Amino acid sequence: MKKRIVCSLLACAAFLVQSASSAEVTIPIEKYQLKNGLRVILSKDNAVPVVTVYMIYDVGARSEEKGHTGFAHLFEHMMFEGSANAPKGTHFASVESNGGTLNGSTHPDFTDYYEVLPSNKLATALWLESDRMRSLSINEENLKNQKEAVKQERRLSFDNQPYATAIVDVWPTVMFKNWQSSHSLIGSFEDLNASSVADVSKFFKTYYAPNNAALVIVGDLQIDAAKKLIETYFADIPSQPQPKHPDMAEPLEFQATTKVVKDALARVPAVVIGYPGPKRRSPDFYALNMVDAILTAGDSSRLRQNLVKGKQSVLQYEANLGWPFASSLDFRDPEPYAMNLIYNPKFTAKQIVDQVQEEIAKLQNTPMDPKELERVKTQVRAITVKGMQDSLSRARTLAQYAITDGDPGLINTELDAMLAVTPAQIQAAAKKYLTPERRAVMEIQPAPPTQKPAGPGVKGDQ
Amino acid sequence: MLKRSFCVLTLAALGLSAQTVDRTKAPATGPIPGYKLPPVFETKLPNGLAVVLVEDARFPLVTARLAFQAGSKFDPKDLPGLAEATAAVLTEGTKTRTARQISEETDAIGGSLSGAAGADSLGVSAGALSDHLKQMLVLMADVARNATFPADEVDLHKQNRIQGLMAQRAEPAFLAEEKMAEVVYGSSPYSHIAPTEAAVQTLEPKLLAGFRDTYLVPNNATLILIGKLPARAEVLKDITEQFGTWQQKQLPAPPKMDTPAPRKQIVLVDRPGSVQADIHVGRLAPTRVSSEFFPLMVGNSILGGGTNSRMFRNIREKEGFAYDAHSQYDTHRDAGDLEAVTQVRNDVIEPALKAVLSELDQMATTPVANEELTNIKNFMAGIYLLRLETQDGLANQLSSMKMLGLPNDYLETYTTKVRSVEPDQVLAVAKKYMATGQAVVVVVGDASKIGDTLKKFGDVTVTKAN
Repeated sequence: MKKRIVCSLLACAAFLVQSASSAEVTIPIEKYQLKNGLRVILSKDNAVPVVTVYMIYDVGARSEEKGHTGFAHLFEHMMFEGSANAPKGTHFASVESNGGTLNGSTHPDFTDYYEVLPSNKLATALWLESDRMRSLSINEENLKNQKEAVKQERRLSFDNQPYATAIVDVWPTVMFKNWQSSHSLIGSFEDLNASSVADVSKFFKTYYAPNNAALVIVGDLQIDAAKKLIETYFADIPSQPQPKHPDMAEPLEFQATTKVVKDALARVPAVVIGYPGPKRRSPDFYALNMVDAILTAGDSSRLRQNLVKGKQSVLQYEANLGWPFASSLDFRDPEPYAMNLIYNPKFTAKQIVDQVQEEIAKLQNTPMDPKELERVKTQVRAITVKGMQDSLSRARTLAQYAITDGDPGLINTELDAMLAVTPAQIQAAAKKYLTPERRAVMEIQPAPPTQKPAGPGVKGDQ
Repeated sequence: MLKRSFCVLTLAALGLSAQTVDRTKAPATGPIPGYKLPPVFETKLPNGLAVVLVEDARFPLVTARLAFQAGSKFDPKDLPGLAEATAAVLTEGTKTRTARQISEETDAIGGSLSGAAGADSLGVSAGALSDHLKQMLVLMADVARNATFPADEVDLHKQNRIQGLMAQRAEPAFLAEEKMAEVVYGSSPYSHIAPTEAAVQTLEPKLLAGFRDTYLVPNNATLILIGKLPARAEVLKDITEQFGTWQQKQLPAPPKMDTPAPRKQIVLVDRPGSVQADIHVGRLAPTRVSSEFFPLMVGNSILGGGTNSRMFRNIREKEGFAYDAHSQYDTHRDAGDLEAVTQVRNDVIEPALKAVLSELDQMATTPVANEELTNIKNFMAGIYLLRLETQDGLANQLSSMKMLGLPNDYLETYTTKVRSVEPDQVLAVAKKYMATGQAVVVVVGDASKIGDTLKKFGDVTVTKAN
């Protein structure tokens, strides 16, 4: 406590407070709500004169309706097309000409927009974010333009890339049965073409209201001045009826499946493996997060040591709760624990799946060596601390905990929950969730270049 | 003005209630805040190892770089890929530790440890929770000094690298970069950005050990430590314990850097089935120690640095030719290159290439307006600040500063130098380095679809994608 007071008196540095929590860092949080429902989270750190303004909307691709695949992403593009007082081009120009960076991204369950700027430009970012929340320019010309931009993005980032089409268009159908989760998040050209200005207006009014959003500001700010600016720019934007989250329930029984996809752009085969995951922030959630770390975090992880190096069967892998579109941070039910492994063509996909299952079986049947568990926990702690260094990462984390759990303070305590996981919990969670009976597999096999890549995405454009 | 001050008064009176504000223009804001780098302490061990220490105690972390003048430009002519292989296998076994032990000990300190080589330098990067600084230094010194390059690890590197090369050469952007370097840098060592498969096949442990013995010596190295550090004397004692007995050695003469005279060329890399064309227009450009560096850096940002640049606004936003349109100015220690880059669908290759060439020539013929220049300077100054938020960001900046032979005040004076660039300086460097009279055009795409169109721009040399 004493240290805390001394620190806050030192106006010169105002470093983040070192504390006794596992991360040895406590992120300061000031949280409140405007009358129109906008949640506000402020976190001050004056070390580098940089500030992040991070706006999160509680809507993502899983809220799309049938016939409108890809709409959430198309809408995200529309958010850069100008607003009543900041016409097209102003947003990019005012952030970049002031030395900042910006972006937006669409996820299964949320959409985010941010500006990272030298801290003298906080008001500029608030002006821009509030103006588009209040008065987005929705018209035929902007919509047409962005339909083309999204299609070009699809061509470049998905249709012209190995594995990407299979992962975005096919994998969700293997993992999920409920259409909300199983449809293509980037969408089909057919659906994108069919979107109208009325659809965009309706989506805007329904989901882009202050009561469906949170505003997070992290970095070199003065709390009182920031509060005044927020009130000035956002307080008179009217709230709207609270939109409902779609029903995303999956059937109780999971059907194990294997699907094979041919990919004309892939030179090397890959296999995706997924298991339906536990409820967010349930005890099993933390345990499976540790399982993931044991299997894949760091060079000493089991998949790297035993498959990449030992058997030399796997070339590259990625894995996490919520893979590929979510992370453990924004994991919302239902999501899988899933991984993608690019493997040595001398092996078959089945061999790779068996090798992974064998690694999981070791976890299920043999209690962890305490030294290994200690090492993995140190890794988890280090990854968490490293991920808090820049203001944008801190803002992202605060925003997720604010809209998903209603408690941005989890940024300071979730690590402790993770590190409290016991060897017995790890074994139990691996046994309960990671079994062949609850496993979905998608093989991605290289195909001769003449064959068109699979997936619904390209249909509409032919 | 009146309205504005009235606003401020009411705010003060009513506290946090919503106020009318002039939303029609961007708010007036103060000047960009000043920022002084944390103090950088430099010293040298008696064996020649340069040491750079920066205290940053915000997070309980340390970040380290051990960088050598030993990048791919030092590869023997018949062995491209030797530097990168040496770097990659450094961490895969030493006289006293197996690869597995190195991984386990690294992960146990919440750390990371890896080697990588670029064109000029080879670096060992490490990080750890700050309580484990000493152990991190032990591991760094062990891999830098005592690597054994076990045969099975060298074989695994070869196998993975060959797979990696196949994947890279499936990417049109990589093929374009590779061809551009080959044409622009001619017979000089910067002309290869990746090894051939045949060269990778011939790698063996004693070649890697030989490269290490020649170049990984203390008088050729800089150790950078950033983070929550113990007292100065204690850090220096820990460093000396791990690196003090390392023997210095005479270094061979650096490789010759004969770059060819720039001349206009169009090269089409045929990639049958390509649904789009990757366009790169580039040429040689000066290094960072040149007085032309800052004007050209500013000019490059105006042309194609980010979403407010001319290429982005015109080629992507206005014309809708491409998703990505940018320019890049890459500087090595002994030479640099500047390139304008975009990827377009086959049917717009002609207007798109015309547009790229015209943006470059425009830079070389018309002085940049003051407002555009000011905006770009603000952009560059801000980006500079943003890069310093993390320990890795600062470590990378300091490391490249040292490896490129830049003066010690480079970071400290960066913003001032950017701000002092004048329109006539930008025009002068653009005339030399952006005018397309001597530019190399590299296009990667399906020759049967775009070959004839390209001929409208001049003689075309067609080569096959590997």
